[in-house]
Amino acid sequence: MRRKVWLDAAAGALLVATLAAALAVPPERTMGDLARLMFVHVPAAWLAYLAFGVTLVGSAGYLATRRMKWDRLAAGSAEVGVCFNGLTIALGMIWGKSTWGVWWTWDARLVLTAIMFFVYLGYLGLRRGIADPVARARRSAWLGVLGAVQIPIVHFSVVWWRGLHQPPSVIRPGGVQMDDEFRIALAVAVLAFTAVYAALLRRHMENARAEEALAARLASEEVEVAGAAITAPRYGEVD
Amino acid sequence: MTGLWRQAWEIARKDLRTEFRTGEVLLITVPFGAAALMLIPLAIGVDAPLLERVGPGMYWSVVLLFGVLVTVRQSAADGPAQMDVLTLLGLDPAARFAGRAGASALLLLVFEAVLAPLALALYGSDPRGWWWVLAVLPLVAVGLGLLGTLAAAIAAGVASTTLVPLIVVPLSVPMLLAASQVTEGIRVGATIFGWLLLLVVMDLLLAVAGVLSARPLQEAAR
Repeated sequence: MRRKVWLDAAAGALLVATLAAALAVPPERTMGDLARLMFVHVPAAWLAYLAFGVTLVGSAGYLATRRMKWDRLAAGSAEVGVCFNGLTIALGMIWGKSTWGVWWTWDARLVLTAIMFFVYLGYLGLRRGIADPVARARRSAWLGVLGAVQIPIVHFSVVWWRGLHQPPSVIRPGGVQMDDEFRIALAVAVLAFTAVYAALLRRHMENARAEEALAARLASEEVEVAGAAITAPRYGEVD
Repeated sequence: MTGLWRQAWEIARKDLRTEFRTGEVLLITVPFGAAALMLIPLAIGVDAPLLERVGPGMYWSVVLLFGVLVTVRQSAADGPAQMDVLTLLGLDPAARFAGRAGASALLLLVFEAVLAPLALALYGSDPRGWWWVLAVLPLVAVGLGLLGTLAAAIAAGVASTTLVPLIVVPLSVPMLLAASQVTEGIRVGATIFGWLLLLVVMDLLLAVAGVLSARPLQEAAR
């Protein structure tokens, strides 16, 4: 219990540190204060990749071992990842309106990020539709593996197709391309968001385990002893 | 013919015979796709140069969106009773996947072949470039058939008619991109080899994924 609270507290403290770091850096030369949006947009995008990557690991782990903890990991990570993916798109649209003058443009990165969002919405939709936990885990694991093909395509889309979205500044051939102040603030933000992800994933996995235990208990209570054909005699019916 | 291929052939024949009897693809889905091709110019405006330019892209979009209906229809044909009979007969799940995907691919190829001249006529695109598209048609049909069959196996019995399109459409974007880029590449004289290679690689990956997942997905559906 203490460890869980520490994780939540660490995530909260790191978020406060991110806010302080984001406000402390000077305005960017060309984009001004708008560049501070990057301290949320970039970590959210990174976490979407991380979360869907963990979904891939969880799915592959389940297919290899058939242990439910891998399924809980995959499902929890996908759910958190979809939230962060949606946040990335929303923040990107705000950024686009301010810099390009439009809410949306047909840039490869934008379109593929939105498509990744829909792939994992489909993953969550599939999970909601299957009541049996084992069937749900088996089927969604295959989709979790298949959907992960999108992750490298989305990341390298800015390299493969030249569009409006800027090329990667951190994970790129030739090293990091960023001022030290921005780099440190961004590192704190990424760390904070990763801690938030870990805390949310942990909670989600606990909830999933509790739901499974409850479902198993309810199922065992519903089963009638010796089947429905035999009923206990009521008072007064026996001579 | 080995046991697996023979079983796959029998499944494909069964699916094609069902289609021959009902005519669902040719009599319903093809006219539906043709109607969509006719509606698009009404929505974006009757501007001949613009339509000529967007024609190939619209054609591939219609193939993708309506092609999903073909794969969904194939999967909806088998109820739990039919599945049980096939299992009791000792049918290899990989053969079932291969047969079903093969039948879907053939029907999709027919769907594409019927709509292609219609798109040419409606949008006034230059037919010279479209000869190369003949190489793309089977690659897209096979890819979409494999992806649709795999998605239908994953979502078997779970709101398949709505969930399968949600799974197939986002994952088939590389196919849409490749097919559109081949047509565009021919129009502007750019190389198209990379896009053709992408289609081939995607078809191969989907075939491997489908065969490997066939048995576990069948077990999960029971």
